Amino acid sequence: MKIVATYSIKGGVGKTTTAVNLAHEAAVAGARVLLWDLDPQGAATFIARVRPSLKGGAARLAGSRGQLGAAIRATDDPAVHLAPADFSLRHLDIHLRQAEHPRRRFAMLLEPLTDAYDVVLIDCAPGITLTSESVFATAHALVVPVVPSALSHRTLEQLDDFLRDRPDPPLVLPFASMVDRRKTLHRQHVARLAEAVPEFLPTVIADTAVVERMGSQRGPVAAYAPRAAVAIAYRRLWADIAARVWP
Amino acid sequence: MDRRSSTVATIMAPVTFTIDAQDCGGVVASLTELGFVFEPARQARTTTLDTFDGRLHRAGLLLDLDELDESGRLELTLSGRGVVPARVGVVALPRSPGDLPVGPFRSRLERITGLRALMPQMERVTRRRAGAWCNDDGKIVARAFLENETRLLMPASSAALPVTLEIHDVAGYPKWAQRAVERVAALGVARTEGDTAALYARAAGVDSGGFRSSPAVPLDPAAPAVEGFRMVLANLARTIRANWQGTIDQMDTEFLHDLRIALRRTRTVLGAAKGVLAPDVRDGARERFGWLAGLTGPARDLDVYLLEWDLYVNPLEPGVASALAPVRSLLMRRTVNAHAELEAALRSEGASDFIGGWTRWLSEPIGETDRERYAGRPMGVLVAKRIARHHAIVIERGSLIEPTTPADEVHGLRKDAKRLRYLVECFGSLLPDASRRRFVNRLKALQDNLGAFQDAEVHAAMLRGVAQELHEAGASADTMVAIGQLAERLDRQRLDARAEFAERFAAFDTRAARRALKETLAAIAP
Repeated sequence: MKIVATYSIKGGVGKTTTAVNLAHEAAVAGARVLLWDLDPQGAATFIARVRPSLKGGAARLAGSRGQLGAAIRATDDPAVHLAPADFSLRHLDIHLRQAEHPRRRFAMLLEPLTDAYDVVLIDCAPGITLTSESVFATAHALVVPVVPSALSHRTLEQLDDFLRDRPDPPLVLPFASMVDRRKTLHRQHVARLAEAVPEFLPTVIADTAVVERMGSQRGPVAAYAPRAAVAIAYRRLWADIAARVWP
Repeated sequence: MDRRSSTVATIMAPVTFTIDAQDCGGVVASLTELGFVFEPARQARTTTLDTFDGRLHRAGLLLDLDELDESGRLELTLSGRGVVPARVGVVALPRSPGDLPVGPFRSRLERITGLRALMPQMERVTRRRAGAWCNDDGKIVARAFLENETRLLMPASSAALPVTLEIHDVAGYPKWAQRAVERVAALGVARTEGDTAALYARAAGVDSGGFRSSPAVPLDPAAPAVEGFRMVLANLARTIRANWQGTIDQMDTEFLHDLRIALRRTRTVLGAAKGVLAPDVRDGARERFGWLAGLTGPARDLDVYLLEWDLYVNPLEPGVASALAPVRSLLMRRTVNAHAELEAALRSEGASDFIGGWTRWLSEPIGETDRERYAGRPMGVLVAKRIARHHAIVIERGSLIEPTTPADEVHGLRKDAKRLRYLVECFGSLLPDASRRRFVNRLKALQDNLGAFQDAEVHAAMLRGVAQELHEAGASADTMVAIGQLAERLDRQRLDARAEFAERFAAFDTRAARRALKETLAAIAP
């Protein structure tokens, strides 16, 4: 089972849309997928039409008897399951802190699922928190959407600095997200990032109305616009990631 | 619904109903009233795949290839009770997991199927209607699949197949499917055991468990020896016949392996049948089985070489593997030729007539001419004697092996050890399970050592032939140097195995082991 998290220090960069579309593409490529919505906003949960409800909330989940399996729901794609978020996850850091070994406690939530899924995609909330540090300690790869702006590039550097001295850090796989190719500045930023960051994935995800419709269509782009360029781009993005995670 | 232990919230086995064709509309209407929305019926073609020996079935999995639409798009689905289903698009029926795209689907299948090929077990065409029930959020919370007008294409069957309805729960929403099941049950519709595929397999007489080539058959130690020997030989003949065509078609390397083992086992059992079967039958058959087993040798040796190629080559220095590419290509060409020769031999009238005649002879009642000196002896007594004798041969021959003993002598011991193992396995049902297993494990440890030595010998000899041929064909210096490195590695394996032999043999031939075997054999030959 490989654990891949969509993560960024910065908010509003397309983490959730990336996670939902990659979950679909991983399933199309033959994987049994668990999409774990760790963002208290519960956007991935909403898109999957699952009710945002964690029995016992974050307190029970982070407690010694917490089980992620009990919370899991199937999505409309039989190969994609979802561990939903609810608003109680905003306190997950506090509850994890109460555990003797918070990062270990977090990893233990996934251990019983090793044989049930091939891929776990974690949709993280922004920022560096104890929860995100636990994700860093557990995940094989962090997929980092980078919007074409100087600020975004800076947050990527901050993440690299943060992970640099950690033992066994995850692969960091940044890619250009929400790109408007009509804007010269966007094109320049993407070119600069690709040159400056060797791990930068080649696939670019455009900022299009098709992606925005995910909120109303409540599903991955490929489910309602399978021929859209961005649907094909997500397929390529998953192939880029899979080639690095399963070399 | 049966709940399977699972780390995932709820994934339950689908509930299957069989429906009278005239009640079909009523069932659909009732589920529609409950909230299900059914898609229009569409023609569907499903091929169920498994290995020859049913490894997927035994792992609780079902591998289906579905034609998605008229365009011929194909999708492979791996599902099972309590298992999250996985799917992957394919362009053609895969012959092995290696034909699938690299990824988790392929890796999972490879772990289960090992060296075995995927083979169509059953193919059906049907009119399929999929239905889904959504909650207020528009989320699917239960599914239903109706199959009507089903015909089996493989195996071709004229059996009338019932209309089936499967209700699937959706993980995390078990109550909805339960309500649907209760609704259908309330209509008086019959539930059936297992899923639709299992129902059709039963109707078509397909054994989803696949072919099991166990050499052991249930034997009565008090029964006349001739009966027991013929039962064992008939079971081996069944394995030979089952693997014959797969070997010719080269479905996977295990067909030849199993055929070869069954031929050798047969020869060993015939050898032990002295005084039990008439000499004209026994001697003639022994010679012919020896001939057949001999035919399988070159192709199997080359198969093993190629299967072990990575083990040989990976530990060598980087770059050596690519320099050895011409060697591998030549071995592959030789493998193709060896299999072609074997195929021709197996297709020959001589081979098929012999196997046909042997099978007929085994099915005939035991005649007076079969009443040899020991034919009426109790099975247990005779088998105990023959096993004890073969054991003594192995001990005697093994005790004579020294570091300088020629390789032929070691090979002779390997063959003796194999014969002993075959006897213990073929007549295994006479022996107590636990002591038989312990004995076989000890013997196997010795055989592994002898096998490593022999494989290295055979492969080194083959490599010398290949080196000569490639040298004459003007192979590069890099290739010739790489061959030297590989030969060195094989030599090391040979020497390591030889150095380890004394220890392995001592572990096999302990006083306690001899006593245990004696006690075991005494139990069946009081």
